[in-house]
Amino acid sequence: MCSVGDVVGIDVKTLSSSEYECLDCNNKFKGIGKRVKCPACKSGNVKKIN
Amino acid sequence: MSRRSTDPGETIKIGFDEILYLCGKDGVVGIVKAGAGQWFIETEEEEIALFTEEDDLFVASGFGTDERMIKGIRCMLYLVRDVGSPLIVLPKDHPACGRLKVVVSAGAGTTISCDITPGTHPEQDVLCGGGEFDGVRITGVAGGVRLQNIDPGKIDIRTSRI
Repeated sequence: MCSVGDVVGIDVKTLSSSEYECLDCNNKFKGIGKRVKCPACKSGNVKKIN
Repeated sequence: MSRRSTDPGETIKIGFDEILYLCGKDGVVGIVKAGAGQWFIETEEEEIALFTEEDDLFVASGFGTDERMIKGIRCMLYLVRDVGSPLIVLPKDHPACGRLKVVVSAGAGTTISCDITPGTHPEQDVLCGGGEFDGVRITGVAGGVRLQNIDPGKIDIRTSRI
């Protein structure tokens, strides 16, 4: 869940994002959701690293 | 645009090509199905990829009730969902914060609050809105939207094509 616009009430640091690494292209990214894919190569072969 | 009525807690069916409007005295809330997809949240420091499920929602809350606001909400939801415009989060205390006319949330559920205090809703499923929407819970369910804590006497419920 995220909300955007009422930014005075948002602390982005509290978003429940996790860091992921794509095992196909080695891209590292932050993601939120149940079925996370690599935003670069669209692979679902990703690993949560933090 | 067709008008709808609902009992508290009723599920309203909407299709992927429809928008559900909740029209109050001071504001309008628009709701569309997000569908399973990838979106981006952009902050000053980082980018976060957001992955939604089939029945998750985009909810836009606008401060105003005239036809321009209804069109603005429709455009905002179209920009976010159909065009794929990223969700941009401004830094706290940015001068633009007070100029925003429409705010957007994404996810399985959203609660509207008219009394948001900075830093007090870290659960991130709260969206600011007009007083008549305070406490309204909007949840995406299979084939529709579930509305809870809503007063049908104060809020007019409509649907139209997005």
